[in-house]
Amino acid sequence: MLLQQLVNGLTLGAVYTLVALSFSLVMGLLAILNIAIGELFMLGGYLGFAVIAAHFPLAAALLIGMGGAALVALVIDKIGYEPLRQAPPITPLLSTIGFSIILQNVVTNVWGSDPLQLPSGLFDRRVHIGSVQIGVMQLVVIGVTVVLVASVALLIQKTAVGRALRAVSENREVARLLGVSADRITLFAFMLSGALAGAAGVLISLHYAAITPYIGVDTGLKAIAVMVIGGTTSVWGALIVGPLIGIAEVMTIAFGGSQMRDFVVYGLMIVTLLLRPQGLLGARSDSGQPV
Amino acid sequence: MRTHLFGGAIVAVTLIAGLHMAQAQNIITLGAIVPSSGPFAEWGRSNTATLEMLEKQINDAGGINGAKLKIVILDDGAKPAQAANDLRKLAGDDHALAVAGPLTSSACEVTFPVANQMQIVSTSQASSKPGVAKANRPWAFRDTVDEGILARASVPYFKKTFGAKSVAIIYDAKDAVSTAIATKIMPKVFADNGIEVLNASAPVSFNTGDLDVSAQVTKLKSLNPDGVVIGADYSQAITVLREMKRQGLDKPVIGGTPLISSAILAAAPEIPIIAPATFYATMKTPKAEKFVATLQPLLRKTAGLPPDIEPSMYDANIYEIVSMYIDAIKKSGITGKASDLEADRTKIRDYMTNLKGFEGFSGSIGFNADGDASKAFFIVQGQKGAWATKVTGCSTGGSC
Amino acid sequence: MSTYYAGLLADIGILVLGALSVYIILVTNQLSLGNAGFMAIGSYVASFLTAEQHWAVTPALIVAALTACVIGVIVGFPALRLKGIYLAIATLGFGEMVRSFFLVFTPMGGSGGYRGMPHVSLGYIWIWAAGILLLVTLLERSRLWLEMRAVHDDERAAGLVGINTTLTKVGAFGFGAAVAAIAGGLFAHHYIYIEPGNFDFQRSIDFVLAVILGGSTVGAGALVGAALLVLLPEWLRFLADWRLAAFGVMLILVLLTRPQGILDRPLLALLRLRRNRAA
Repeated sequence: MLLQQLVNGLTLGAVYTLVALSFSLVMGLLAILNIAIGELFMLGGYLGFAVIAAHFPLAAALLIGMGGAALVALVIDKIGYEPLRQAPPITPLLSTIGFSIILQNVVTNVWGSDPLQLPSGLFDRRVHIGSVQIGVMQLVVIGVTVVLVASVALLIQKTAVGRALRAVSENREVARLLGVSADRITLFAFMLSGALAGAAGVLISLHYAAITPYIGVDTGLKAIAVMVIGGTTSVWGALIVGPLIGIAEVMTIAFGGSQMRDFVVYGLMIVTLLLRPQGLLGARSDSGQPV
Repeated sequence: MRTHLFGGAIVAVTLIAGLHMAQAQNIITLGAIVPSSGPFAEWGRSNTATLEMLEKQINDAGGINGAKLKIVILDDGAKPAQAANDLRKLAGDDHALAVAGPLTSSACEVTFPVANQMQIVSTSQASSKPGVAKANRPWAFRDTVDEGILARASVPYFKKTFGAKSVAIIYDAKDAVSTAIATKIMPKVFADNGIEVLNASAPVSFNTGDLDVSAQVTKLKSLNPDGVVIGADYSQAITVLREMKRQGLDKPVIGGTPLISSAILAAAPEIPIIAPATFYATMKTPKAEKFVATLQPLLRKTAGLPPDIEPSMYDANIYEIVSMYIDAIKKSGITGKASDLEADRTKIRDYMTNLKGFEGFSGSIGFNADGDASKAFFIVQGQKGAWATKVTGCSTGGSC
Repeated sequence: MSTYYAGLLADIGILVLGALSVYIILVTNQLSLGNAGFMAIGSYVASFLTAEQHWAVTPALIVAALTACVIGVIVGFPALRLKGIYLAIATLGFGEMVRSFFLVFTPMGGSGGYRGMPHVSLGYIWIWAAGILLLVTLLERSRLWLEMRAVHDDERAAGLVGINTTLTKVGAFGFGAAVAAIAGGLFAHHYIYIEPGNFDFQRSIDFVLAVILGGSTVGAGALVGAALLVLLPEWLRFLADWRLAAFGVMLILVLLTRPQGILDRPLLALLRLRRNRAA
């Protein structure tokens, strides 16, 4: 049973990793929370469902889910963030909440508030290893997560775009002097962040096979905790801490404390913030910008 | 210019007043509170379509005692505070004679006290959290049956059918009804029936909105129960059933009325589900069949509802509730005049309190001293995509 | 006034207090996304005192406020280590932990909720709301407020000129927590039923929204923001299924056109000028 729980925790952790990374791309760069990421995750799930229901393959679902969520992220940046760049960070945070409300309402009106379910039998295949059962979809979730995180890490550390991203996050003015367009880089970060949330949504909706317009809310809050514990500026932090939190949650439940689960996760987050504000894997001793 | 305007205003005011007086004489207003936005939007929207259908049926048939029926429907977004204000608006501004709703128990908890304060009947179509109407007598009612009574019929059937000697519990800890069913009501009935609850001391829980219940299901599986108790509303139960299927925990499921829906049947068709119901879309009684035949096409045409939707138990309940009010108005000498508002509301309350033998979808309906319905119910089994009635019972013990 | 508007007015009064609780903390440049947690504490403490111990409502509210104040100070000290959005996230975690706690705290009903409190009138709610709004407005003209604003504008400089920044910041947390607790106590005795779901992240966000929409530089902004937040969803009812989306759009529009909030000092000065001229 312990091994099975480990597999459960890893799958859940993969979701947290992707959504946390999505949060940290915007947070690490701009020090604002894009609350609508939870809803981009949800939207990705619905788009993925729609593509699969139209009998397209998984890869197409992933592409459409990521693309759709990235497009909405573009709108959020252009309307909800860019005009408010000079305002205190709380203002764009609230405007992203506006987008969350709109997305929930639109999805409810388009797809309904009842859980949308995949026809049973789809993505249901399982492999047995001893007493442990692993769904094929679970392997896909974990695999795609690792690939996506590695790609983002490579992108940030090795490419010109990545260098520009880091330059903007260090100092917007200096970056501008160096000829980097901060606005374009910000837009890129928003869209990449949206695409990751969308990918997480597709993977998760196909794995759990039932989604509602409100799945983004709690997953989003949990992912914020994962981001903080891993370090808001560290890509690898999310990859390691996501599964750690997933396993911590699963073990809390396995050992009879299912009601204490949220308490444990948010408690860990606060302890991290107090003892190691840069996160487990964060390097900078940065403890935030003024509100 | 000024005098012209003034004269125009006088004409307008007279017209409106005249219209108002004409209306006051032959319009009967009832109110409804439904959650048309937010997490239960589908329930609220299908409730709305149901009430619009009923309103049209009544008015096409000549209204109530010659007066036209008007049902004012307000959305509460499943938010308790909005539901309470909706009731204030219906009672205070719209002069409704009685109100159907609100739907959720959380909304009822704060709305029923307002109903008592404003002295207007409020009847919930769905709330089944124990004791909510009881705490708010005499104006609060619920067209739902006490889950404890239902469990006493469903558990013996479950035991007999599946030979279950042990069960394990999983429930939604954020939801009051689910928590009550899974941790208080069911365990007692299981004990009385000689069924062991394997995790009675530490039942497994999750929270409303959780996507992942894999750890909980693995835990259940390790207990190797003969059956699983799911304390959750159907949309959360779907997540649990999907996970049970994924992990190969193909054990029969038992739960309370919140499980009843057509959507849950698609989650894991091979796992049998036992639950109590007072209505389901495919039930075979003339009254219910006629109701579904008329309502279903309307629901499927409604924007914001899925194309394959079926009428829910809550649609049936809200239809019954408003039909009771209409019956009360017809039989209790209710005038609908503004001057009689207080007396009319009291008459509806007295009608509800003393109601016996009202013909509902499952048989005759009345209300007990707690304000909850005494009505016939079925223990239904869901399997391979359909519900089937297995046991019929009556919440008063005898026959309904 | 119809009972319906009376009900909405009660909601506005409670939200004004919630918004002020955020405003008081925000003045020292600390953003709290967890004030629903303090509200929950106030709500449960006050309800326990009136329903179980049969206290009168006013002393129960005062004790609830003091309890939350102590917890606010306890939260305020570690909060000193954090700034900006990180502090906001930590308070978010605090709020969620309080909610999770009451969900399993069965002596006060757990997820089943709690009832048995006496009902308070609209006037009573507004005595508190207006009283605390007045107190904050008076404070805004005091030296203490200048010190708080100094901590907001430049903490290091404030320290250099002899302002005790620790005391100011922790004190603001305590004061804000107490006001949130009063909002919670009044909420409990207005609805005469409470459950942990009443005090979720959404509630904390509502408080912040009311402050930012109304105007985060003046206390009276809380009043404008609270009224808007309660009345707007009601006025948008004619949009039926699109009501919430429209609310989201309006929210973004207000933030875009007035990022400093509807009410700010220039607007207040303008209003005052008009009034003086009229008089």
